[in-house]
Amino acid sequence: MIDERDELIERVARALKPLPQGNMHARAQILAAVHARRAQAPRRLTLVLEWMRQPTFSVASAGLLAAAALAIGFVTRGALSTPDERVLPTAASPSASVPAITAANEPNKVRAVPVPITFDAAGAKRVSIVGDFNDWDSTASPLTRFGPNGPWTATVKVMPGRHLYAFLVDGKLVVDPRAPHTRDLDFGGDASVLMVNQP
Amino acid sequence: MNEIDASVPLRAKRGEAQAFIEIVDFYYPRCLRFARNMLSDDQDAEEAVQDAFVRVHDSFPRFREEARFDPWLFGILANRCRTLLSRNRRHRALIEYGEVPITAAAPEEEYGADWAEEVRMMLDSLPAEQREAFLLRHVEDLSYEDIAALTGVRLSALRMRVKRACDTLRARLTRVEQHDR
Repeated sequence: MIDERDELIERVARALKPLPQGNMHARAQILAAVHARRAQAPRRLTLVLEWMRQPTFSVASAGLLAAAALAIGFVTRGALSTPDERVLPTAASPSASVPAITAANEPNKVRAVPVPITFDAAGAKRVSIVGDFNDWDSTASPLTRFGPNGPWTATVKVMPGRHLYAFLVDGKLVVDPRAPHTRDLDFGGDASVLMVNQP
Repeated sequence: MNEIDASVPLRAKRGEAQAFIEIVDFYYPRCLRFARNMLSDDQDAEEAVQDAFVRVHDSFPRFREEARFDPWLFGILANRCRTLLSRNRRHRALIEYGEVPITAAAPEEEYGADWAEEVRMMLDSLPAEQREAFLLRHVEDLSYEDIAALTGVRLSALRMRVKRACDTLRARLTRVEQHDR
């Protein structure tokens, strides 16, 4: 079958081909989301996989591993979990004595929103974000570097609303070049403005 | 340059963060173009692209070293777009053409804003599977074999989808042009 490309289809394709502008905020969100997932990746699983790659690994040892995992699972579920960690009975369950607190039965409660943060500081040794959402605490929200030369990223939980913030780069306050600035009335210097909408 | 150096996805698969950043920087505009053309909504398109990149990252262990990266990435993105389309279909009974954002630069200069708008309207009116096949073939310039691999649709059916999309666009746009003269 012949390809359907003719002059008109060429013109259609040309009209749809121009590339949109890069969006630094979207890029930052992707990298922060990925970084957060990397930080959560279970190191134990990596160790198990490395062990399985060893030449001495056999089917018998796989069975042993599965049995051990099962046993550990039973023990930890019953013995090690604190009451807070256990699954609460849901309101729908016949045995429920306390209804579970969920977003569904508290629809009006305002919740903190995870906000991905990135900052480019190639030569920096330490970067954190300080703002009214963490009481300008330099130790509350450290950023970590994404790759050896990549941007610094973190995800901070912020209540919906308008917030002021800055980055602390090797002990020096720096405003976010990608965000609007304003005068911070409490500290006298410039601060960046973060608007967080209700999810 | 339309395709990234083959070593970059392999480095990303090995967990090199810098390689993943290179992938995002290289493909983000193309992915956003595809998603916007598919979804006709800036926010949905950004959501689909961001989601797709996170899934790409999570799925790298399953990326075969001998495979080409472009079709694999666009397969994941096309999937996200389909999911959003079906979600939106449930929530939105009517899409107004006037909402379609025109943020790209070039086509207006060449044929005028009206032409670009007509093209987008006509594209929106195509069934989603025809629009997807048309965009992958004629805008993203993927081969039929690549599109078949990423969509799981047989080659003959795929060619038919593209042909139908072209026929519809040709008929409607020709009518528009005749009407404008």
